[in-house]
Amino acid sequence: MRRKHTLSLFMLVMGVALLVAATTVGAASSATHKVNTTGVNKGGTLKVNENSADFDFVDPQLAYRTDDWDMLFSTAMQLVSFPEKSGPAGSQLYPQAATAFPTVSADGKTYTFHIRPGLKFSDGSPVTAASFQRSWERILSPKMGSPLGVNLDLQNVVVGADAFLNGKASTISGISAKGLTLTFHLTKPNATFVSILSMQWFTAVKSNMPYSSTGLNVYPAAGPYYIASRDPGRSTVLKRNPYYNGNRPANPDQIVFTPNVDPDQSLLQVKAGQSDFDLGGIPPTAASNLATTYGINKGRFFVGPTSCVLYMAMNNARPPFDNVALRKAVNWAIDRPAQVRLLGAYAGKRTDQILVPGIPGYKPFNVYAIKGADVTKAKAVGGSAIASAPTLNVVHTTSSYSTQRAQVAEYNLKQVGFKINDVPTPATNYYQVIQTKGTTYNFVTNGGWCADYFDPFDYLNVLFDGSKIQAANNNNYSYFDNASFNSSLNAASALSGAARASAYAKLDQELMVKYAPVVPYLISTNRYFVSARVKNWIYSSYFGAPYLNALAVG
Amino acid sequence: MPALEVKDLNTSFRTDDGIVQAVSGVSFSLDEGHTLGVVGESGSGKSVTFLTVMGLVDPRQAQVSGSVQLHGEQMLGASRARLQQIRGATIGMIFQDPMTSLNPVKTIGWQLEEAVLIHQDVTRKDARRQAIEILKEVEIPRADQRVDDYPHQFSGGMRQRVMIAMALINGPEILIADEPTTALDVTTQAQILRLMKRLQDQHKMAIVMITHDLGVVAELADDVLVMYGGKVVEEAKVDDLFAKPEMPYTWGLLGSLPRLNSAGERLDQIPGQPPSLLNPPSGCAFHPRCEYVMSRCRTEMPDLRSSAQGADHRFRCFLEDEERTRIWQGKRAALVSEDAA
Amino acid sequence: MTHFLIRRIFWAIFLFFVATIITYLIFWVIPANPAALAAGKSATPADIARVSHFLHLDEPIWKQYLRFVWNLLGHGSLGRSYVNRQTIDSSIAKDAPVTASLVFGGAVCWLSLSIPVGILSALRPRSIMDRISMIFVLIGISAHPVWIGLILSYVVGYRLGLTPIAGYCNFFTGTAGAQCEGPVQWAYHLILPWITFMILFAALYVRLIRANVMETMSEDYVRTARAKGASERRVMIQHVLRNSMLPVVTILGMDLGLALGGAIFTESIFNLPGLGHELINAYNTADLPMITGIVVFATVAVIVFNFIVDVTYGFLDPRIRPS
Repeated sequence: MRRKHTLSLFMLVMGVALLVAATTVGAASSATHKVNTTGVNKGGTLKVNENSADFDFVDPQLAYRTDDWDMLFSTAMQLVSFPEKSGPAGSQLYPQAATAFPTVSADGKTYTFHIRPGLKFSDGSPVTAASFQRSWERILSPKMGSPLGVNLDLQNVVVGADAFLNGKASTISGISAKGLTLTFHLTKPNATFVSILSMQWFTAVKSNMPYSSTGLNVYPAAGPYYIASRDPGRSTVLKRNPYYNGNRPANPDQIVFTPNVDPDQSLLQVKAGQSDFDLGGIPPTAASNLATTYGINKGRFFVGPTSCVLYMAMNNARPPFDNVALRKAVNWAIDRPAQVRLLGAYAGKRTDQILVPGIPGYKPFNVYAIKGADVTKAKAVGGSAIASAPTLNVVHTTSSYSTQRAQVAEYNLKQVGFKINDVPTPATNYYQVIQTKGTTYNFVTNGGWCADYFDPFDYLNVLFDGSKIQAANNNNYSYFDNASFNSSLNAASALSGAARASAYAKLDQELMVKYAPVVPYLISTNRYFVSARVKNWIYSSYFGAPYLNALAVG
Repeated sequence: MPALEVKDLNTSFRTDDGIVQAVSGVSFSLDEGHTLGVVGESGSGKSVTFLTVMGLVDPRQAQVSGSVQLHGEQMLGASRARLQQIRGATIGMIFQDPMTSLNPVKTIGWQLEEAVLIHQDVTRKDARRQAIEILKEVEIPRADQRVDDYPHQFSGGMRQRVMIAMALINGPEILIADEPTTALDVTTQAQILRLMKRLQDQHKMAIVMITHDLGVVAELADDVLVMYGGKVVEEAKVDDLFAKPEMPYTWGLLGSLPRLNSAGERLDQIPGQPPSLLNPPSGCAFHPRCEYVMSRCRTEMPDLRSSAQGADHRFRCFLEDEERTRIWQGKRAALVSEDAA
Repeated sequence: MTHFLIRRIFWAIFLFFVATIITYLIFWVIPANPAALAAGKSATPADIARVSHFLHLDEPIWKQYLRFVWNLLGHGSLGRSYVNRQTIDSSIAKDAPVTASLVFGGAVCWLSLSIPVGILSALRPRSIMDRISMIFVLIGISAHPVWIGLILSYVVGYRLGLTPIAGYCNFFTGTAGAQCEGPVQWAYHLILPWITFMILFAALYVRLIRANVMETMSEDYVRTARAKGASERRVMIQHVLRNSMLPVVTILGMDLGLALGGAIFTESIFNLPGLGHELINAYNTADLPMITGIVVFATVAVIVFNFIVDVTYGFLDPRIRPS
């Protein structure tokens, strides 16, 4: 799991009616969106480090990692988007380039948007409906070779997209752009469609932006900023879009990203004022000192929630963890506080369930040993099956932190009587090892999941629907497959509103109480440290990072 | 006045294991135009003696005492600059292994010119002319071309000629030759010795011929020093030494000389190893290897005393005169009969 | 000379094939699947197949290798990165000057320290100077570059604020988006990396030079030079130094060639966007074309430097001059 760097792309199966749109769109129906920017100075250069990482792509139709998206958010002009607000308000969609939320036809298959007049790209040219049509073409064109649209099954969402993807048509027949009016014809009704449009892939791009399988580095953008230069591995520079006339904040004159910095060095640079903050966070060991010196969320050191739940997975398809008693025993045996301590101070909140705060249906409960390992209880629950269990293949990646985490877990497992075979696996083939059906691992320590969307479907159905287990690349790498639970998941996904939330709350509890396929242990946080001059820190729990365009260094 | 007079010379080295007494109480004198043969096994101190004379032992490791006078001028304790003036100009020196004694990355011309330029105030062109001249004198063919060659382009014998040329280029009064022929094959040895003899006659210089080969001494030397364990154990005119050596070690050396008509037979060897200079044997250094050892030899070092043949034939041994005469006659008879056989 | 060159070139071609084939084989053996990494964590098998085809990863390994050789020889191209799809040629062309700045600048630093210190230690063995340099050598040999780098940037860069903590500036001006450039900024940002290199390598070189000088000083021809009446100064300069530097030239050539292939740790710590840093990133993302590209470059660098060493050696030592 690359928590900060790889978005766990959401695996929504289109056609399943989700209420995401309803929960996130409904509240922010006011067409005008205002951000309070009084008392914030404009100007200056915001210097951002990215420790141990670089943007892989800055082309909006090839970019998909969290860092990419957090950066692109400042250059984006979308039909609908999130406001630069902290807390739950930050996850309420509002019409951004569109004058209002779309009008939907009675059959639910035609969506019509009206684009705000007067919006301009950084080269001065106007934003039109065609600008949004182009982003769909670029994400599906065979000339782009982008895996992203296909991962989301977008070719089956809009009429004519499949033919376009396969090179049989030069345009997507289901999208029509006339002046400022944009119309989507869907293959079938789709409640998530508006939410999907909030993703960074669907930003306005110039209608003649060329296809490029290598991705464009510099191109006109319609958001508050545009990418002025990009030198992969060296720097990326955003400059203020002179033609932007909306009311989103655009505080720094420019934003400069320096990639691949060593985490410790990056922290020193921020302390010395040579950099403003690190988009990748701080080294875990530094958290405690920074909190003591600067306090938490008091101007320099920030701890922000994420939607990420970390867990260790058991292979339910193989002995001994096909035995539910042993899976429960392990949930008693793992020392959750010890695991959290490994991540340094303020790493997050201990948990023994899958859903996280902010997700509809999250209802905290506590069934296992959340305050520390309970060896006696674990032995009692596991019984004689522990002693007769075959040796466990414990798989973990080879970074020093992963190794430590595995060592602690292995100690806990040995304490209750399991035999251990430690299998360190390089990160480059780790996922292939665990995500291939029929894998011989018994226990992995590197599991985790972050929301692509604030909906329980994205956790429970994506991770535990056994009917979706495929030959390779399984997100359900616990290989948990229970027919009755599968059908409950399907039933819940068809519900909406309060019924949906309470159904998922029940399933969340049932999963751990009855089946315990994994060992959840932490809802993680992101920890940031900023230079003394940084003001106006507004944290997005969606990105797990601040809104860069709102930060002020002037 | 002798050209070189050495009195009671001592050289010792500090090493990690202790003090090594390499030279103890060596005295001799070398007359102008004469040849002094210095004979001994490896480690007998013969080379160190002359490195000390030249001031070439490392002063940080070596302790030196005694007196070395060059035409009456004290060389021990002379300034470094004065020693550098003497080396290569008044005293020339050549070494055992011509393969390693020349700088491999400089032409021999450069190395010869360097010797000239250090001591003479002449132009490089002039120095080069001198270099070619001296190469001709040591019988290097096509000297004017070969002067630009590197040492590795010469054979061993040719390199030793170059070494000799380099030692002689400033016309020294004394040439110290440290085993100059040891590394060469027999024919080349003979040529080099002949060359040295001719040059000695031409340049009227004194030669110190350090060798372990009594044959070379017999051919070249006027006087002989026999060294053992850092000490002079016998000194004599060359004819006297060969006529009546007085010391068991010298007898051993003579016995180990190869003789042309005794093909196939093993040479006599002196049994045992040369003495350790770090922990020298008590008493006479030769006693552990001496066939005629007496209890006195184990505790006392015999002084140098004059032979019955004359005051300038001196040796160290406790054996009575008659005894030594008797033993030597027996030995000589054996050697002669071997020759006759 | 021609003969020598031809043999060298054949040897270089052979080495090139050996190095690249081994790189390909290793990639084929390890179970990493670059297509899966490129396609994303939750890609379906169909998606991966699509990406595989796009990246030519669905071809047999020998065909991929031949494609690589053909692209290199036929088009002078090393291919494109799996990760960000940039051409490898442009990445290496951009990275190599950074590594070269680090390595050559570092070499100047470590030589200018280790040559005088090595010679002085050799001239005065067991002196205070010699013993201090011995301690310095021990630290240099025992310490890891990451540790040295972190300590230097903490103390010199952060605490004392004398140098930047990390980062790189181009020597030449005119790069779009560059935050700093020009020779002064370039050198200013490289001071700590150079010192890191200096501490690492000077240690070895001081010992090497000390041993060589001491060995040369006991050579017969040095005694000959003294017997000629040469002053100590002349003996040192004309006879000892050149001969004792011969092995140093060999080692230096090898070190430079290897270091050009990637000064991984130093570059990572100081965030220098050079080949070593690139290599680590490529390793983490199973970016075969990038790794192969850097291997090819490193192979060429080692071959070229060995060639330079041979030629230099020929000038310095007439014994092996090819004639």
